[in-house]
Amino acid sequence: MSLVASILIASVAVAGVMVAGAYLVAVMDRWTARLVAGGGVDAGRAMAAPARDAAFLLTRHRTSTERPDARAWALAPALLAGLAALALTLVPIAPDTVIADPATGFVVFSAAIAFVMIAVFLHGWAPDSTLPLIGAYRFGAQALSFQIPFLLAVLATTLPAGSLSIVRIAEAQEPLWNVVRQPLGLPIYLVVGLAVSYWGPLDLPDGRDLAGGTSAEDAGIARLLWSGARAAMLVAIAAMGATVFLGGWYGPVLPGPVWVALKTLLLLAVIVLAGNLFARVRIGSFVIVCWTLLIPLSLLNIFVSGAILL
Amino acid sequence: MREAVQDLRLDSRLRMVDTPRAAAVLLVAGDLDPIDLDALARVHDSIPHPRATVLWQSSAAMSWQSEPSSVVVTAIDPVPQIRAAFRDLLGDRRPSESAVGGGSGLVEWRDVGPYGQGGMGMTGGTPYGRPMAGLGTDRDGLRLDVLPVRLGPFFPRLPVGLSLDISLAGDVLTEVHVEIPALPSPIGPRSIFARALSRPVPIADLESARARDHLRWTSDALLAQGMPALALVALRAAREVQPGDGARVRALAARVRRSGVFRWSLPRQPRLDGATIQGMGLGPVSRAAGLVEDVRLEDDGYLALGFQVQTIDAPGVGGWWQMRLDEAARSLDLAARAGGQMTTLLGRVEGPRGRIEAGDTPTQRALTLLPDVLDGLEWGDAMAVLVGLDLDLAEAPGSASRCTVAA
Repeated sequence: MSLVASILIASVAVAGVMVAGAYLVAVMDRWTARLVAGGGVDAGRAMAAPARDAAFLLTRHRTSTERPDARAWALAPALLAGLAALALTLVPIAPDTVIADPATGFVVFSAAIAFVMIAVFLHGWAPDSTLPLIGAYRFGAQALSFQIPFLLAVLATTLPAGSLSIVRIAEAQEPLWNVVRQPLGLPIYLVVGLAVSYWGPLDLPDGRDLAGGTSAEDAGIARLLWSGARAAMLVAIAAMGATVFLGGWYGPVLPGPVWVALKTLLLLAVIVLAGNLFARVRIGSFVIVCWTLLIPLSLLNIFVSGAILL
Repeated sequence: MREAVQDLRLDSRLRMVDTPRAAAVLLVAGDLDPIDLDALARVHDSIPHPRATVLWQSSAAMSWQSEPSSVVVTAIDPVPQIRAAFRDLLGDRRPSESAVGGGSGLVEWRDVGPYGQGGMGMTGGTPYGRPMAGLGTDRDGLRLDVLPVRLGPFFPRLPVGLSLDISLAGDVLTEVHVEIPALPSPIGPRSIFARALSRPVPIADLESARARDHLRWTSDALLAQGMPALALVALRAAREVQPGDGARVRALAARVRRSGVFRWSLPRQPRLDGATIQGMGLGPVSRAAGLVEDVRLEDDGYLALGFQVQTIDAPGVGGWWQMRLDEAARSLDLAARAGGQMTTLLGRVEGPRGRIEAGDTPTQRALTLLPDVLDGLEWGDAMAVLVGLDLDLAEAPGSASRCTVAA
């Protein structure tokens, strides 16, 4: 197969996973919201609702603010979606089935997560409007706090593998999944994963107290693209979590790719449910918890994991 | 009208959004202070095309020149006409409304100044009437730019009509001016609390209304803290509770506690302690500060039922939440055992927000506290305080002109 054909197939596969995953996130979010609210769930209606919302947004004309940075505004969702795509290319669905398996896969993933801050900040900065700008600065504080515990939690999973490759990390879980080997890792990863994708209780940059924050000035397709990119990032976080903590493709009876999909769905369900059950966290409290609790815990996780290996 | 609009959130046929950029139809419910019409026009013009306006029991159209004209609804249920307007927009059967002059108050800045930036210099000054960011005072060893911002009168987390002029250093409020609007009536004429000022009313009805009011506030507060699903549970409870339903409210309160709102969502620092608000009669806010202030203690009807005031020592937003949820449950318990007992005290009544007298309401008193209580708070904490105070401008006294309070 030629290189061009390989790239084309990989691009279509990643785009398909992102679109399908984002759609699924929207469905799950509506479903869990209805369950929490005590209303009955009409499965057909819940499945169709995101499509209706997307169609509605596509009918809306684009708007602008008085003095936007138009290029940055257009770039932000593309950057966020690109980072989600980059993270997904690293996720193996079977021992020999992965789009990219660099020896430094962990570093590539870390870089993608670090750049989320740039995307969200651009999105809040570009409209030149008060509420989006506050959201942008808020995410700056949020991102500076979550980067270290997030990366330390993933870094601990490279120790049993003895490699920074995501495929090797998954392979190293054949005898024992990391969720058992490193019980602190997955909870830290999930909490901070909520912050990376600014979802539910950690939706601080786009919070309701800011009337939508960085998204407050988005209309039409710009709103659709931003919310889609955010959901795709959530899918990437869940898929990577399934790979490095829940054993990736390992599981009985079913084929490996099905296990990866099921485990990703499980983590997505946990994250989406948390979004509908828990109140938004104060930015001050989140920063304090990250620096005084999550960083020490993630360091402890690494030390204990290293000691066990020795 | 405020309650009717709130109830629309329970209607699955439409979705209410926080920003005009996400909307297609602007619903204007009831009459507005004429001074707010220009701000309303800016909201209208911020809605992307195609757009429509539905005026529900409102005369706001009088000052607008939109083409085509807005849909006027006088029916109790506006949803069918909102949906019809929306469908007509999507089907090109109704043209999108033109701008109504929402930007007319803005000052042209393009190509003005040496670099076309609209004024002289990068910071400071007010080029063409528009304030720019300037350096603020040193509050914590770091001097930040201070940005003057007007919030309201249609910011979704504030009561309609309330405007705040604030100075922001980062996301910290460093200076607050409150513009108190003029409104025609002391309190909603249909409110049972208004009636209780002039004639005896059944205590069961009064306490049920108090519980429903607290639950409606709970719904708004949950929405502000990012829990729209639980907010619907509270709103549904507000519509459905009857005397004796205290257990239902306690179950809701348990769900609210499990959401973590008290642990990680609300500001921790005490606000409005007992010494600051003594004698102000701010209802749950006063009682959360340990003050035994309740007009019901002066009413023989309540005393005959064995009514006692319960207070807590938690003078902050969390205490206000806890107090309202507790009082909602206790009010329904009291309503259940009140039977046909009537109030006996006239001229003053304990409303959901505190002591109400003719021309003197708790919202009016609470508004005077805002500049001091908001000063120095981070944005999210400030919003939690504003929502927590449960301001209702329909309670504010009428006056000939607006007044401002500042600190």
